Amino acid sequence: MKLSAKYNRVTLIASIIVFVFTGVIYYSVIHYILTDQLDRDLEIEEDEIVAYVQANGKLPQAGSFKEQKVSYHLIDPERDFERRYFYNDYFNESAQKIEPGRSLISTVKVSGKLYSVTVTKSRVESEDLVRIIVLITLSVTILLLITLLLINRFILNNIWKPFYGILLQMKAFNLADKNDIRIESTKIDEFAELNTAVATMSLRVKQDYRELKSFTDNASHEMMTPLAVINSKLDTLIQTETFSDSQGELIEDIYVAVGKLSRLNQTLLMLAKIENNLIADQETIPLDNLIRQKTRQFQELLQLHNINLRTDLAHKQINMNKHLADMLINNLLSNAIRHNYKDGQIFIQLNDSQLIVSNTSLDTALIADKVFERFYKNTASEGMGLGLAISNQICNLYHFKLNYAYQNSQHIFTVSFLEGELQSYSKFGV
Amino acid sequence: MKILLIEDESSLRESIITYFTDEGNICETAADYKSAIEKVNIYNYDCILLDLTLPGGDGMEILRAIKKINKKDGVLIISARHSLDDKLDGLNLGADDYLVKPFHLSELKARVTAIVRRKSYNGSNIITFNEIHIDTQAMSVKIGDNVLILTRKEYDLLVYFIANHNKVTTKSAIAEHLWGDEIDLSDHFDFIYTHIKNLRKKLVEAGCKDYIKSMYGVGYKFENV
Repeated sequence: MKLSAKYNRVTLIASIIVFVFTGVIYYSVIHYILTDQLDRDLEIEEDEIVAYVQANGKLPQAGSFKEQKVSYHLIDPERDFERRYFYNDYFNESAQKIEPGRSLISTVKVSGKLYSVTVTKSRVESEDLVRIIVLITLSVTILLLITLLLINRFILNNIWKPFYGILLQMKAFNLADKNDIRIESTKIDEFAELNTAVATMSLRVKQDYRELKSFTDNASHEMMTPLAVINSKLDTLIQTETFSDSQGELIEDIYVAVGKLSRLNQTLLMLAKIENNLIADQETIPLDNLIRQKTRQFQELLQLHNINLRTDLAHKQINMNKHLADMLINNLLSNAIRHNYKDGQIFIQLNDSQLIVSNTSLDTALIADKVFERFYKNTASEGMGLGLAISNQICNLYHFKLNYAYQNSQHIFTVSFLEGELQSYSKFGV
Repeated sequence: MKILLIEDESSLRESIITYFTDEGNICETAADYKSAIEKVNIYNYDCILLDLTLPGGDGMEILRAIKKINKKDGVLIISARHSLDDKLDGLNLGADDYLVKPFHLSELKARVTAIVRRKSYNGSNIITFNEIHIDTQAMSVKIGDNVLILTRKEYDLLVYFIANHNKVTTKSAIAEHLWGDEIDLSDHFDFIYTHIKNLRKKLVEAGCKDYIKSMYGVGYKFENV
């Protein structure tokens, strides 16, 4: 829900509640005051009757006067009689119609006899007054609500314009871009502050990004050079003379370790690069062809373990960095081979929405939450525990979803493309 | 062949020179940008090994300078920068090959040999090693007059061995050369053995001397006997 809509709704509901509440209170107070006024008038009339009785020793004449009616009834003096006000009907003789009225019933003693006296006055004027007051209040309320809505609609939208401007720029913000965020001037302090904050943040982020980029490059260089020296010294060492078998084994172990170290280093740097989105140039890759090519590369490894590879590949184009696509397929495939057993099975299925690589293995189910974590690996595994982490990162980069499942003693890795493609569509929508 | 090595890391420089300097190879070195530019401008080389990160300047600039004065020297970039941009930039600027550190000296030698062979004036595509004749254009091998049919891997292996003859080449270097470094084969060095065994058998059956010598634990040596 948009902020303005939310704000509109809240103010509207609040004002309606307040108006209704105050309206009710207003109505009852005015009503009370007017009734009180009527009652006082009735009381004055009563006083006049009592004064008349005391002066003349008889009741004044009953009957209708202007908007007032008096009647007497003889009552039983033994009966308990209460003096009270009550609502009554009033017959307007001039208008020949019944109007709402207010009455006071009281008692008066005339020469030993007890009479009840009922004085009734028409309420029509006070009712009219209340009606007019309510009408005015209501129209003012409606007018106020309409004004409020109009203000919200036009002024608020106008006020928030700079906000949407900066939002649009933030959405379009790309680290690799050369252009910085442009600040649009605004008179509203909050937005001016937001603009400067966003601009400073983007500058700082870009600065960090540049530093990180140069750090990855430098780190790679600084670590690779000593590794290159070790490797070349070993290459030189083995040329010098013949070694005994045990010396040869030692040297081989060093080679393997150096090789692992440099691969580890390269992989970590690659992970950092992917995580920091430092990999640009995408191209359209026919994924089915790539998989066929990779399976050919792995042919000998498959034969060595006598693993039966089945494929079911539909034609599928995918937008990716070539190197990363290579790496993803490599990792999935080499894992499927490495964790397989002799005479095992690998099944690769590719359709428009998914790539599924499943393999048999002696290993039991992996922990699904941890399988994509760095350096998570089976104790028996000889890998570095980075292959799946990097595969997952690659998938994240392109908004693919990489899932792991264990079914029918098969390890199944699924890459779902759909999400990523939807996402890339929605990128263009605003 | 005459080689210029532009590399600032002295111990790496030493190793490469030691590996290359025999059987009449001439190896010169430059440790920084300035001396490299001087040498490139004055002398001609069969192949220039170029490190990209140098004190005093960017190696890419040296490559630009070489191409600007229209030199025909082969250029092999050796760099720790694994970034694809650098690789593409280098190759687009006219470098012949790109090797990422760390590398095996035998791999470097094989690549340099290939560049020099491609660049050689007489345009010869024939590698000759005693009785072995390889036509790199047709990818055919003859032992004396006998045509030898080799698989792609065996052929690559033979060319690699000849480029590194009289040197010990390690199993990991061979594996990387044949299968690339994308596939981690460190647990599977054994199946290199199958290819070497087959190549050796084919060579000997075709009447070739047995040049391939196994160095236990370390690797193999293609030795002129």
